[in-house]
Amino acid sequence: MRVEADGTVDVTVTVNGREVTLAVAPRTTLSDVLRDRLGLTGTHVGCEHGVCGMCTVLLDGEAVRACLLFAVQCDGASLTTVEGLGSADDQHPLQRAFSHHHALQCGFCTPGMLMSSYDLLAGGTYSPDTLPEDMSGVLCRCTGYRGILAAIADVAATHPDGVPPPRAAVPPALVGRSGSASVGATLTSDVRKSTGSIPHEIAIPSGTPTATVDVRSELTSEVDDVWAVLADFDRLAACLPGAEMTADLGDDRYRGRATVGLGPVSLRFEGLAHVVEHDPSARRMRVLAQGTDRGGSSTQAVIRLAADPAEHGGTVLWADADVHLSGRVAQFGRALAGDVSRRLFEQFAEAVDEAARTGEAPTTRTSPLRLALGALLARLRRLVQRPR
Amino acid sequence: MKAAPFAYHRPDSVDEAVDALAGGDAKVLAGGQSLVPVLAMRLGRPGTLVDITRLPGLDDLEVYGGVLRIGAAVRQRTVERSEAVRAVPLIGRAMPFVGHRELRSRGTVCGSLAHADPAAELPAVAACLDATVVLRGPRGTRQVPARELVVGAMTTSAGPDELITEVRFPAAASGDGFGFAEIARRHGDYALAGVAVHVRRGGGATLAAFGVSDRPVVRDVTALLEDDPTEAGLRPSTDAMADEIVDTAGDAHGSRGYRARLLGVLAARELVRAHREAHQEAHA
Repeated sequence: MRVEADGTVDVTVTVNGREVTLAVAPRTTLSDVLRDRLGLTGTHVGCEHGVCGMCTVLLDGEAVRACLLFAVQCDGASLTTVEGLGSADDQHPLQRAFSHHHALQCGFCTPGMLMSSYDLLAGGTYSPDTLPEDMSGVLCRCTGYRGILAAIADVAATHPDGVPPPRAAVPPALVGRSGSASVGATLTSDVRKSTGSIPHEIAIPSGTPTATVDVRSELTSEVDDVWAVLADFDRLAACLPGAEMTADLGDDRYRGRATVGLGPVSLRFEGLAHVVEHDPSARRMRVLAQGTDRGGSSTQAVIRLAADPAEHGGTVLWADADVHLSGRVAQFGRALAGDVSRRLFEQFAEAVDEAARTGEAPTTRTSPLRLALGALLARLRRLVQRPR
Repeated sequence: MKAAPFAYHRPDSVDEAVDALAGGDAKVLAGGQSLVPVLAMRLGRPGTLVDITRLPGLDDLEVYGGVLRIGAAVRQRTVERSEAVRAVPLIGRAMPFVGHRELRSRGTVCGSLAHADPAAELPAVAACLDATVVLRGPRGTRQVPARELVVGAMTTSAGPDELITEVRFPAAASGDGFGFAEIARRHGDYALAGVAVHVRRGGGATLAAFGVSDRPVVRDVTALLEDDPTEAGLRPSTDAMADEIVDTAGDAHGSRGYRARLLGVLAARELVRAHREAHQEAHA
């Protein structure tokens, strides 16, 4: 079975006891279907990437994040939302206990707390000792956890043989509110071009860098050969893993792109590099770089490179960089960003060594980081153009 | 926070899944608990998702011939609740630390291995126990030791056109003791530092550290337990080992030194626990 990105497919699910069939696009999440198509707005949406737990519902009896499920995955499944747990007139014991213990302040997390706690009590793994950890999958930004935990402990104590099943089978209130069109298709037109907005000057943020890299590599090539690679921006760019120079803008400014692949993550930065210092006698240079990914991630970096003769022949290549990350990529955290940046520089040093030895752009890669095909082609093209 | 458009492919056979991956711009969708956030944040835009969770043959969860086999479609919570997992107690120890209940009801064991987050628990358990990962690709089936699967942060030696079909854990023998612990800022978060430990009565001890390098780090720690298998006695050697293992920059959540200290303490504590367990069973 295959559904194209712009197509829809009929999905049949049983929601709170009632069977319903809807046409959905592949990327439409279960939480959007519940809220926008079925009008079951009791399921709240907070972070939309699985952290906050607001959208917790039961799928075939187990608590899941509705924002981390595409509706198309749920074909044939049975779902229970907070509307199905109980109604205003016929509340589930958990709902009564939440009311009794004042286990809510603003109420935004309440549906998630109710569905997660139902799963905990019905799943048979409840223990008073581990209750706080067991409920840590749903966040309360009011920090009203005491009342919430008291309510759950209360229900557990009064129902030692298990909590009663969901009360009501509430009919979906607003089937087809958005008509038969796919929710996903109406939500976003996803074309945002960022390539026109590359600045001519690079501003480095004044704050603490996200990651600081300081790599010292011993190369077998002689220092003059290494500096020749660093001094030729064309060859230098070819040594950067996943990078490609697209235009020489003059004034020591270069336009380029770089691709970083890490598991499912694939970022494609378009940006600018500016060689602000270049000292052939000391063999030192400083480069400012800036890049923007169309997904809203951006990076700025100050990179310092130095080549010194090693004691017993060869070269010591120093590369240190202050890397600033902003936007979604910053969520990876400093440690991972630092590790990845460091390994990129280590690969860069290996490539410089090879380029210095052969007088060519580097050809071999031991990198686990995948290269963009475009960058690879560009490098091959350069090889063909400039045989030595 | 909506994923960019993608095509959805639900194959009927493993061969069809491998064919669908061969295009290059496709990703495997199993539990999706790590992949879907990446898509929602648009840090990745695969053209096609290949949903393998309904494939016949990938739902095996059984112990046979001293091996626990977990298929690629088997959810973590299914494993956690199964009788079969008792054959490999270390998985049961680690599982409560894997995300939250709500994530484990969808997330898969093989998916954790394929995602290869440096701070994830299950890749460390697989490395500690020397599990074997079975891959299927266009060139057929091959087996890779879990210790060789992860080659960097979120990067494995599996090709983009290969599918992990199952993981095989050796069942525990009598006289085996285990330890597992991690420190995270909140329960369910990725660990700042963690250890999985396996001690065999009569000699042999293995430790896998996670959250402290770009992949799980495995060490033979048999010699450490030979002199004084108490926490105080082990600390000098586990501290030295931790200092050597930790290979990650510090961040706001913990400096490099803090992570090394955590690792040294956790390693000593869990080695003692595993050692005691391995030797208690002799009297039981």
